[in-house]
Amino acid sequence: MKIIIPIKQVPETGDVKMDSATGTMKRDGVRSIVNPLDLYAIETGLKIKESTGAHITVITMGPPKAAEALKEAVAMGCDDAMLLSDKSFAGSDTCATSYVLAMAIKKIADYNLVICGERATDGDTGQVGPGISAWLNLPVCTYISKIISAGEKILTAERLVEDGYETLEIKGPCVITVVKEAASPRLPTLSGKIRAKKLTIPILGPSDINAHPEHLGLAGSPTKVVKIETPKITRNGELIIPKSPEEMEAAADKIIKYFHKLDII
Amino acid sequence: MIKILAELNMNNYEKVTENIYRELISICGEKFVIYRDPEKLEPFSHDEVTDKSYHHMPEAVVRPAGAQEIAAIMKLANKYKIPVTPRGGGSGLSLGAVPVFGGIVIFLDRMNRILEIDSKNMVITVEPGVITNEINEAASGIGLFFAGYPMSLQSCFIGGNVAENAGGGKAVKYGVTGRYILGMEFVTPEGEITCLGGKIVKNVTGYDLINLMTGSEGTLGIITKIYTKLMPKPTEITDLLVLFKNAEDAINMVPLIITESKIIPAAIEFIDRLSAHTSCRYLNEDIPYEKAGAMLLIEVDGTDKQKLEDDYEKIGSLCMKNGAIEVYVADNFTTQERIWNVRRNIAEAFMVISPEQSLEDITVPVAEIPKIIPELERLSAKYNIQIPCYGHAGDGNLHVTPVKNPAQTHEEWKNILPSVLEELYIETGKLGGVISGEHGIGYKRKKYLKYSLDDTAIDLMKRIKKSFDPNNILNPGKIFDL
Repeated sequence: MKIIIPIKQVPETGDVKMDSATGTMKRDGVRSIVNPLDLYAIETGLKIKESTGAHITVITMGPPKAAEALKEAVAMGCDDAMLLSDKSFAGSDTCATSYVLAMAIKKIADYNLVICGERATDGDTGQVGPGISAWLNLPVCTYISKIISAGEKILTAERLVEDGYETLEIKGPCVITVVKEAASPRLPTLSGKIRAKKLTIPILGPSDINAHPEHLGLAGSPTKVVKIETPKITRNGELIIPKSPEEMEAAADKIIKYFHKLDII
Repeated sequence: MIKILAELNMNNYEKVTENIYRELISICGEKFVIYRDPEKLEPFSHDEVTDKSYHHMPEAVVRPAGAQEIAAIMKLANKYKIPVTPRGGGSGLSLGAVPVFGGIVIFLDRMNRILEIDSKNMVITVEPGVITNEINEAASGIGLFFAGYPMSLQSCFIGGNVAENAGGGKAVKYGVTGRYILGMEFVTPEGEITCLGGKIVKNVTGYDLINLMTGSEGTLGIITKIYTKLMPKPTEITDLLVLFKNAEDAINMVPLIITESKIIPAAIEFIDRLSAHTSCRYLNEDIPYEKAGAMLLIEVDGTDKQKLEDDYEKIGSLCMKNGAIEVYVADNFTTQERIWNVRRNIAEAFMVISPEQSLEDITVPVAEIPKIIPELERLSAKYNIQIPCYGHAGDGNLHVTPVKNPAQTHEEWKNILPSVLEELYIETGKLGGVISGEHGIGYKRKKYLKYSLDDTAIDLMKRIKKSFDPNNILNPGKIFDL
């Protein structure tokens, strides 16, 4: 069995500072990590590997520095890695990104399962997983919360939906995106780190994956960002400090009336 | 007996009267004096020691703006024989800031200015009410940091750190607070203002009163200005969480880490089986802790990424060669937080089992640590209580924490705890250790001081105290009874 896990390197959220003048993220000196939600995809893959002996390839599109994220995944137990890095990839939206990842997956070939995180903590779109399936013309199941059994041809999994869970049988090869419940990520081990350090990660450009220039970068990105702004917080609270039992009664009445108005009680 | 002595002492002090209250107002302003308001005074009756029998209410709390006001308060207190207790962030664990005899608490929260960051001398000058972490935030802008690292750095005040000579998690490499204190201004118990040292590294001009003041637990003076040395901030940090079969393997590893690898980690924290399991369960942590009989958390830091990788590989491999089950590597914020959380949440996890516990901080020579573990097992069995043990193994400082068995009554617990501590302290002494490495003696451990110091030493200390504070006004009832 062969599993491919596309991941993304994102800024550490604890570190993120916004530039109030431009409304964009300050990237200087911000440390990068594996997208936390991709860790659930990696762990899901590793669990399947433990039970089936599957081979896992982890891939990412990004600057050369993104190799660090791939190495972290290898240190956790993934078998090999591939970095998609080229100037022509810069400025890709989710459509162009999923195209590049899909072409890379096609190049790897003979895979049974593609596991993605639900979304990335920086872009927050959740479109790349389904995008890959569209480019590859494969079935996709989003919000998978549990793998029941993973066969080469059929994957049985539980999916988180608004009013509960549904159990699905999916014909492989297929693409799934997983949620937090799917698996709790393991920590990288020393032996994994040493293996990752020794591993040479191939860097592939557009010609290596037979990608058409019109689908890449800004040219291949139908999304146009017009303006980025920080939303204003419109919530406002009222603090009631009762100083006597009478005021306490009045305060309680006020809260009850408010809840009635909101139809909460 | 101790109770009776305390009462006798108490009779020597006067109460904070309406007149004295008015004088305090004339010194600090009405807004900054709390008096006859039990609700507002209560937070000043305790520190982080949870045992309520140790709590004492102050009669008044004043929040001075500077050294002159503190000097005036001390003169007033000497005139009327009112005890005065200085207080920082209140995160202490020895009851050092608790006003045992009531009187006045001087709360230093308003003296919270960073006065100067001198990058050329690498010295930051601060008032005592600055929160320790704020020093780091201020220094970080110029690539420097304050290497004192108490676990409570988000809430404690630097003044308290100096008064207690706080230790913490990074003492293996960086030492404790005192190493970084180059000078200070303080108000004597009699109300004089004096200055020691400054932005100078070497200083043998007269007795080393800076080091005497550092760790004096607020009994010799009230520190009003501190000159602190800053260090170049490490840019790279990696943590290793090492799982061992048993405590012996883990503890035996501690001295080897430094002697064999020749690398000094920033931290070597030990977590015994009970602490690791309790904390991991509390956090719902999925690290395979069930197979671990003990853990070590090792932090290495530096400025060269490649060098740091070599360092942690060397230390990690050494652990594997010496019986470690697994070595986990955390080199980013997410994974680092995850493994430090296991260590940081131990005390809180045990609070869920029983809030009645006694957080100790014995220190023994590093190589003697293996000998203390069987002793804890013996005490645990003898008194039918849990005694988790964790802490700063790299410098021999262990948080041995007797926790009340939920099946025991409060009275049973109060009866056995002194015996548990006494046996623990005697054993610590036999190994060449002391009863407190970083929390201090304060009010909590004064009756046990004799297990670490002989009569001559205690007598010298009492004479020092009397020469500083002839009326025994400043923080009385701490360390020893005069």
